[in-house]
Amino acid sequence: MLFNSLDFLIFFIIVTTLYFVIPHNKRWILLLISSCYFYMAFVPIYILILGFTIVIDYFAGILIENSEGKRRKLFLILSLIANIGVLAVFKYHNFLNENLTFLMHGFGLSNPIPYLSIILPIGLSFYTFQAMSYTIEVYRGNQKAERHFGIFSLYIMFYPLLLAGPIERPYNLLPQLRIKQDFEYTRVVEGLRLMLWGLFKKLVIADRLAIYVNAVYNNYEAHNGTTLILASIFFTFQIYCDFSGYSDMAIGAAKVMGIKLMNNFNRPYFSRSMSEFWKRWHISLSSWFRDYVYITLGGNRVSIPRWYLNLFIVFLISGLWHGANWTYVIWGALNGFYLIFAIISQGFRNKAKRLVGLDKLPWLNNLLEVMITFALSSFAWIFFRANHVTDAFGIIKKIATSRGSLFIESPSMMIYSFLGLFILFLVEFKKEYYKGKFSFFNNEKWIIRALSCCFLIITILLFGVFDGGQFIYFQF
Amino acid sequence: MNKTIRKNQIKLFLLRLLAFFIIVFLFDYSIGSLLRHFYFKQESGLQYRTTYAIEKTNADILVFGSSRANHHYRPNVFENRMKLSFYNAGRDGNFMFYHLAVLKGVLNRYSPKIVILDFVAEEFAQNQYSYDRLSSLLPYYKSHPEMRSIINLKSKYEKIKLLSQIYPYNSLMLTIAVGNSGVNKKRKSDIQGYVPITKVWNGPIQVDNISSYYQIDSIKVKAYEAFIQDCVQANVALYIVCSPYYIKSDHVDYSIILGQNIAESYGIKFIDYSKDTIFTNNSALFADVGHLNDNGAEVFSNMLIDQINTH
Repeated sequence: MLFNSLDFLIFFIIVTTLYFVIPHNKRWILLLISSCYFYMAFVPIYILILGFTIVIDYFAGILIENSEGKRRKLFLILSLIANIGVLAVFKYHNFLNENLTFLMHGFGLSNPIPYLSIILPIGLSFYTFQAMSYTIEVYRGNQKAERHFGIFSLYIMFYPLLLAGPIERPYNLLPQLRIKQDFEYTRVVEGLRLMLWGLFKKLVIADRLAIYVNAVYNNYEAHNGTTLILASIFFTFQIYCDFSGYSDMAIGAAKVMGIKLMNNFNRPYFSRSMSEFWKRWHISLSSWFRDYVYITLGGNRVSIPRWYLNLFIVFLISGLWHGANWTYVIWGALNGFYLIFAIISQGFRNKAKRLVGLDKLPWLNNLLEVMITFALSSFAWIFFRANHVTDAFGIIKKIATSRGSLFIESPSMMIYSFLGLFILFLVEFKKEYYKGKFSFFNNEKWIIRALSCCFLIITILLFGVFDGGQFIYFQF
Repeated sequence: MNKTIRKNQIKLFLLRLLAFFIIVFLFDYSIGSLLRHFYFKQESGLQYRTTYAIEKTNADILVFGSSRANHHYRPNVFENRMKLSFYNAGRDGNFMFYHLAVLKGVLNRYSPKIVILDFVAEEFAQNQYSYDRLSSLLPYYKSHPEMRSIINLKSKYEKIKLLSQIYPYNSLMLTIAVGNSGVNKKRKSDIQGYVPITKVWNGPIQVDNISSYYQIDSIKVKAYEAFIQDCVQANVALYIVCSPYYIKSDHVDYSIILGQNIAESYGIKFIDYSKDTIFTNNSALFADVGHLNDNGAEVFSNMLIDQINTH
């Protein structure tokens, strides 16, 4: 059941209405049942994998809390092995096997390990990471083990975040599942408005841009560098609107019910450096890696070479988290390289800025930094979007060497694409630089707020893509 | 929060929600009505041709099909040789559901003497695309009840979506504007629906020796049968034709086999030119591997008329 479907709209209205009608102490049952139904709308049998993760981590949490010393660590390690094991089987088995086959073939050997013909369970990486966050926090003593099996199950499978996050932390979400939430007009409307904005980003921008991006990237040999540059820029916005659109809808849906999920995006394309970009992009995952991998590895409190290595490892794993494909690994490695290079070149860049006088023109300096960061992230996205590593290099080669006229299949399609991007730019630019000014969606007058939302609905009806399909991040 | 405050908040929410829906409805109705007015006022372009085929044409010979139909059947050849009026109702990127819906619209008004249905390879293949493409018929939902059962195949919520007046014209605003401006007439003229392609294919013949396996969509097969049945009931002489491809293959597409068997069971002539060597040996007749150019269309139209005349 996709957030951008009428099925979901009906589901959401029913569940939310019941949520406010039934007594508070029964709400977890409603949310649990509806979350099961929501998840089973995809591949019903995969609820068993989700159930396995829930059972393992529920008992792991209690056992960790009740133990001390080595036994405590042992239970944590066992739960992590179980969680990563599920990921390894369902997500990485075929990838690893393929590479093993390739390696063995080089030595003239054949690989006896069979391939698994399985579909990746939807949302697997998201809920597994959320489950691991729980056991690690219990181990660290920051979180008490949850004894209520129903509440714990809901923590893992709360439907707004089940498929593509935000990846929540137990100390933020678990207490909220117990608090009585009343119907609050302001909060409910804010949640609905956020959902509408997310839907706009998905239907009007992401799915519109996807038409061009798919046409070009799936047949890149037939296109010149100019077209590939535009398609790559379009993909940069497509993935942002697709994923942040989903996050907005998830956060909005939870907010209507009084549950505050963590923010997942903070206008990342206004970042002035790659390190800032990663503080604004997929925040729930970036902070997960920071809290549980980077800091565990020693963070920056180690020797400089080791610090660089830590950064690189984190981004490499982050790439692999996104998908079992070398394109994602290279994407992760490239982002790691960006960060390390930025640290190494910091002094030189500052000197260069002073030399050309950029330090006296802060607005120009900011603009250049935003543009460079945007270009770097767009370049990295080429690997993320390309179907194969060879395709990615082929695209880069064409971008560098081949020029020509722009491929425009349909002028109206192009105009609609830019129209959506223009609205996005206006909204985000205003939020970034003019917070609190020229407010339409949060205007004091109800009629202005209503007309702003009405504008979004009419724009969706006029220019939205209704057959666009699912969200990109569902595949992870 | 006490009960009274909560009740007041819910009341405020419901009242404002109602007011909001009224605003949305007013905008939707006004903009939708405006788009509808200008949609049907178009004088050129793809949508105009669909409207013309459904609501205006009274040609003796009608051609149905995708872009291949649109570019392969040349009106002057048919009119000169058969002494019958002709209209090409083929439309780019539309397949069996579209053909059936347009046929129903036509038969609601009159019965043409001859109908030619251009059949494509993989016509019955299961894919979402054919259903999504039914969006091109949404503007006719309101005024053509005979098409509704087919348009409803697009999705299970089509009826609900069509409560919006704008929805049928989704993503059409600019094409409607262009259709009303007359730009299409100057840019890409059609001749009784037929749009000639003048370019010549210089590439090699596409070799396709691997028979691709695909799932047959039984709903498409039923639509095809319904197309035949509707023609038979209306006493229309129906010819189902698979026009030429610039593709060399050693197997016959499964949809073509199935389409031929079904046509024959109704006593309908199915003429297959997909491997005709007159075409596969002559790249100059093609614009690309799937489409004949204007010269190819002339040669093909003449050959088809010869076949029809012998029938």
